[in-house]
Amino acid sequence: MSKNPMQTKFCDLMGIEFPIIAFTHCKDVVASVVNAGGFAVLGEAMHTPDEISADIKWIRSRVGDKPFGIDLVLPASAPGADTLEKLLAGIPEEHKKFAQHIKEKYNVPEPKGAQALHQWGGLNQDIARGQIDVILDEKAPAFVSGLGSPEFMLKAAHERGMKVFGLIGKTRQAKRELEAGVDAIIAQGYDAAGHTGPIGTFSIVPEVAAIAGDVPVIAAGGVTHGRHLAAALCLGAAGVWTGTIWLACRESDNDMIIKEKLIEATSDDTVYSRSVSGFPMRVLKCPWTAEWAKPEAPKTLNSPYQMLLSSDYIQAANDHRRADLMFEAAGQGVAFVKSMKPARQIVFDMVEEALAAFEEITGELPE
Amino acid sequence: MADTPRNATPGFDAAVAGRRAECDGGGPVLGTRYASRQEFAGTITGEYVDHGDPAWRWYLMTDLTLKPDGYPDDTVWCEKNSIFFADEDDT
Repeated sequence: MSKNPMQTKFCDLMGIEFPIIAFTHCKDVVASVVNAGGFAVLGEAMHTPDEISADIKWIRSRVGDKPFGIDLVLPASAPGADTLEKLLAGIPEEHKKFAQHIKEKYNVPEPKGAQALHQWGGLNQDIARGQIDVILDEKAPAFVSGLGSPEFMLKAAHERGMKVFGLIGKTRQAKRELEAGVDAIIAQGYDAAGHTGPIGTFSIVPEVAAIAGDVPVIAAGGVTHGRHLAAALCLGAAGVWTGTIWLACRESDNDMIIKEKLIEATSDDTVYSRSVSGFPMRVLKCPWTAEWAKPEAPKTLNSPYQMLLSSDYIQAANDHRRADLMFEAAGQGVAFVKSMKPARQIVFDMVEEALAAFEEITGELPE
Repeated sequence: MADTPRNATPGFDAAVAGRRAECDGGGPVLGTRYASRQEFAGTITGEYVDHGDPAWRWYLMTDLTLKPDGYPDDTVWCEKNSIFFADEDDT
């Protein structure tokens, strides 16, 4: 093998050693992955501009000049805003009764405090704009748009020396963002955790790679093992976007109960369910998802009504650390989350597994 | 009708007014760290709002022929680069 397949154009673009991107909501994971030679992106969708600014400074204090990214969920469409009271009043009685039935059947306690969901004002264009402005002010090394197009802020970001990546679920979205001039495209497949697009990772990645030219394509969805990394590079990707694998790592601030559930889970233990948010969302199976999947359950509500309905269960489960009730978003690759390893070890293991996979195919070790 | 967003500068773009379009929309899911896509199809009225500098432009879509189940409004604001016009080849 004449070329090390780990040295991709994404590595060249960002000046990193390994084409592994960790997406996480935990700053400690970001620092560990970046210092291990990978790239990491901190999800900040639920944070205020002041919190984002403080987080960027904290990461810089841990990684120095090494690059990292900040992810926001830019909205792509927006209805008019309703008050919480109006939304709560819109939940049908049948659905309230069914939620109460689940609560009684599983002895779900009352949440300890006011529901965080009810205190959060949501994310409209005004709030998102404030988040973007602070990322530009702080000159974060990279900005990742987790949903809507970042085209409007590309010029401003590039003028500040920043890179901008877009996450897409359809080829036409990739085409639009490539034309706008993003520095990398993250093509996310159906296997991923949370809310995903309808197209599988094996289909979306080579399709986007075919139109991306020299722009690096990053494969997302179901990536938790070095074999996935090797396969993604063969599909035309220049790296992988990983999420689930970091949820149970040593540095992760997830509850220990959730970490244990992730480690025990197989690929059959996730479910694509509308019962949590009203949108199809891949999560670990739990009593809430199981009950809403039964024939006698009412049809799940549209967002945000279903989320308002499920928020009582979620908050109570987490407040009281009820292992039988708790769940987390997880991708289908969760089966390869086997232990609570340090994040840097996950990076090194994934690289070694990928190189072993290439060696199996070619009979050679890369230089 | 969807409310006009706050802190935005309104305007009208005749070049897009009356054109049929799809919007690969969506956004954050209330109370979670996650987002979800929502697909819309309808007519762009030409009304827009610009947020901040550099301007982040949103167009108003009406006459919705495709919207998520239970979507409560007759209109939706669509981010400019998430709109795909029926008379343009975006495939």
